[in-house]
Parts: sequence; C-alpha cells; structure tokens
Amino acid sequence: MKKLIIVLLLAISGTVNAQTQPKDSLSFDENNKYIYYRVEEQPTLTADTIYKRALHFLKTAYSKDKLKLKKQEDSKATLQGEGGFMVSKKALVSKHEDAKITYDLIIEVKDGKYRYWLTNFVVIPYERDRYANFVPVKGKKTPLEHGLRVLGQKDLDDYLEKVLVNSRGVGERLKNFILSVAPVAKKEPKIAPIVKKDW
Amino acid sequence: MKRKLLLLSLLTAGAFVANAQDSTQTDPPLTITGSVDTYYKYDFADHANLPTSFASDHNSMSIGMIDIALKKKVSKAAFVGEISFGPRGQEQSLVPGASGDSYHIQNLYVSYDITDKFVVTGGYMSTFIGYEVISPVGNFNYSTSYMFTNGPFQNAGLKFAYTFTDKVSLMAGVFNDAWNSYNTISKMNNFGAQLALTPVEGWSAYLNVLTGKTSGTEFDLTTAYQITDAFKLGLNAADYSAADDAGGFTGVALYPQLAVSKSVTFGLRGEYFKTKSGVLETFGPAPGESVVAITATANIKAGPLNFIPEVRLDNMSNDAVFTKKSGAPSKSAGQFVLAAVYAF
Repeated sequence: MKKLIIVLLLAISGTVNAQTQPKDSLSFDENNKYIYYRVEEQPTLTADTIYKRALHFLKTAYSKDKLKLKKQEDSKATLQGEGGFMVSKKALVSKHEDAKITYDLIIEVKDGKYRYWLTNFVVIPYERDRYANFVPVKGKKTPLEHGLRVLGQKDLDDYLEKVLVNSRGVGERLKNFILSVAPVAKKEPKIAPIVKKDW
Repeated sequence: MKRKLLLLSLLTAGAFVANAQDSTQTDPPLTITGSVDTYYKYDFADHANLPTSFASDHNSMSIGMIDIALKKKVSKAAFVGEISFGPRGQEQSLVPGASGDSYHIQNLYVSYDITDKFVVTGGYMSTFIGYEVISPVGNFNYSTSYMFTNGPFQNAGLKFAYTFTDKVSLMAGVFNDAWNSYNTISKMNNFGAQLALTPVEGWSAYLNVLTGKTSGTEFDLTTAYQITDAFKLGLNAADYSAADDAGGFTGVALYPQLAVSKSVTFGLRGEYFKTKSGVLETFGPAPGESVVAITATANIKAGPLNFIPEVRLDNMSNDAVFTKKSGAPSKSAGQFVLAAVYAF
C-alpha cells in the first residue's frame, strides 16, 4: 500500500512538473521577427565541450540543403547555421511541394549551458514547371512576418505550425548532439561470417 | 514467477517492435499532381478567328484537358509520367501515333543525378524552348502566343545538365529529328542547348537553341524579372528558320504583370510576330506578313481554382487570315475568354 502511494505521488509530481515547464512556442523578438528561442542547462559540460558538439551538429546533423554551418565565431562562442525545410499541401492521393521555409539558427554557449534560436523565417513559394516538377518561384521571398498579407490567414497558420514543429525537431536533435560523448555516427553492426567447414 | 516472465516477454517484444520501427526506411512517396481546365470563348466576329493554340471553340463552354502527372524520386533516380485527356491535351498539343492513336503523353522521362550538379535525363519531354507551355497552370494568359503555337511543344531526346553555380547552368542534348513526336522520322540528329542565367536574384534568363537538318533552327530568349513583390516583367524573343530556306518566323513578346492583391493579378501580353518569305505556312500570318497581338488577362485565385478572364485583339498586316462577322476579310480580330483552371 505504501509503495502504491509513493508511486502515485511520484506520478502526480511528474505531471505537475511537466505542466509547470514553460511551453515552447514561436514568439516575436525585439525586431518584431518570429523567433523560436530556448536556453538549455547542461551543468556538467564546459563551454568548450558544448561548442565542439554544437559545431559537430551543424556540420553533420542534416544534409546541406536542410541545415549547414554559415558562420563560426570561436572568440564569441557563437555559431550560426542556415537551413530550410519543405512544406507540402497533402490531400488523399496528391501531394506536392508548396513552399520552402528557410531560417537562420544561432547557437551561443557558456559553461554549463547553451542557448539557441531560430529566426529570419522566409517563405519561398514553389510552382510547377514545364517538366511537371515543382521548383522555387524566382524572386518571390516572403518573410514570415509579412505572411498574412501574402499568404492569407489559413496558410500562415499552417506554416507557423510547421515552423514550430521543425524548430522543436532541430532543438531536440541539437540536444542529442550536445549530450553525446562521442560524435554521433551510425555504425552498421558487423555480422560474423558463417564458416561452414567448422561444425 | 509467471508474472515476471510475462513482463519480461512483453518488454522483449516491445523492444523488438521499437527496433523494427526504427530501422524501417520508406521511399519518398509517389507524387501525384495535375490540373483540369475549362473555358468559354466569344469571338467578336461571331465565329472562331484566331489561329493560335487552345481556347479554340467559339461561343461554347468547352474543355481543355485533365492533366495528371506522376513523379517519384528515390535517391538519385527519378521518373515523371504526365498524361493528358481532352482537346488541349490530345489533338491540340500531341501528334498522334502512326495508327492515329493519341498516346496521351505530355512528359515521360527518367533522370539520374550523376553528381549533385550533373543530371542526365532521357525520354519525351516538354520543350525547353519558349515562354509559354501546354499546361494551363504554367501560363498566365489562357490563349497562347504565335511564337508558342509555331514553336516546338515537346522534344524527345537525351540531355545533360550541369549546374556551375547558383547563377549559371548549361544543358545540352541530342533530340529526335521531328518536334512533338514520340519517335524519330529517321535519325536522332537534332542538337539542343540551354544556357540558364540568374544575373540577379529574381531575374532568370534562358538562351536556347534547337537545330536539326530537317527540322530547322530556332534561337530563343526567355527571361523574366520579378522587379518588385508585385511587378514582374517577362520577355520572349525567338527566331526560327525552317530547313532548306523554306521560311520561318521572328517574334518578340512582353509580359508585364502586376499583383494588386494576394488573389488578383493583372497582366498584358504584347506580341509582334513576323513570318519569313518562303513556302512554310505558319499558324498565323502568311509568309512575309506580320501580326501584333495584345492580350489583357487577369488571374483571380480562389484557393486552387484560378479564374482567367481575358480580352485579346490581333491586328495583322494583311486581311488574308481574319474575317468579319459578315465573312468579309479583315485585318483584325478579337475575342473574350473566361477560363477556369483547377490545379491539384
């Protein structure tokens, strides 16, 4: 019975704890630009370690068309990346690229913590070309802040949701890299060959 | 003990399931896109007058085509298959097969990325020449220019494209000796090339050439510049010389477009088209004659549906092509079109 009470108390405290964590969301920064901003504590890690792992993240976590290192400032312990992801309108049987949303990612580190933010979100619409491929519309780039005028409320809401989901995903992957002792690399398990003559 | 075993079994099974899910990799999905288009046209002479492509039926609620494109790319290999049904997608844009059948194919090709910058493509493809295209989704105006109607629609062949930088790429290839044909007449001896440039952001320019002993030679410049968020200016210039000095044409068209809201864009097409002396009869002026065509078009978008009201006035240098309401020859002709294009 005592054990049951302890388990229930732990479960309730966990729920309360989860509820009191600030819910991450898109906000506006001081320049009225959309921003996804997070500060993460890693008390056991030095600034140098976090910096190296964040650098490794920007160089290897995604293919270069999705996220790559843009600027490296060792003296300021700051890294900057640029990335983008596709958004699609999906129906039951049809789906095609609707737009690409590009962004900047800035990572700053200190002893025991790091912060990062994604901002400068820009929507590049896609259109069908003569070969039935969907390609970027040349010269059309809409900062997400101007999205209401150009995209309309429905598309803007959809894109904001996708920006948030993508930003969370980038943040989670960054966290995994920061927590990894060694560079994250998948190794194929070696399967021992079967030697038929020994049996 | 039994409970522990059961728990252990469940945990093990769960681990296997999780592992199986982690290691599952799926190919990118098959992409299905396309369009349907329909229109009403009224020719001011009360009978069809203009010889350019599509929007051909006078005082009739008519159909363009249903167009369905399938695409899939796995790793470096891709295919596109685009089929079309309807007047626009068959007799008005595709040459039938030997037995008179339409194969309904607008695009059918495969491609392979040899490197990130070097791609080889082979099959039956929309032409790389010109500003306008067969798909109504790819055009601003619903009626088409004389340069489009008299140029190639599709070219079957094998082409290689290399991207030097973000601003410069080059395509070169060999194509069948007949335009718009699924196969050759006798040889695959046309040469085609396209130099694609992006001088500044928002400005694209394509310098094209397509030449062959029997099909003639066409030089083409297609360019568009999104000057502001709202204003875009396009230009197409072409010169075609048929084989054996049989004639040809020279033309230029300007395409200014102004977006006045998220849903409404107004545009003009002003085209000058002159035929060369010779025996070649074009879809347009007689050899040695010319035409000026002005088309005012609006695009009014309601989600995936695009309404296209359009007024067009053509003025020819002689009265050999157009006729008045009475049937008497006329130098000028005009029409009103209201089209609806749904893209999916």
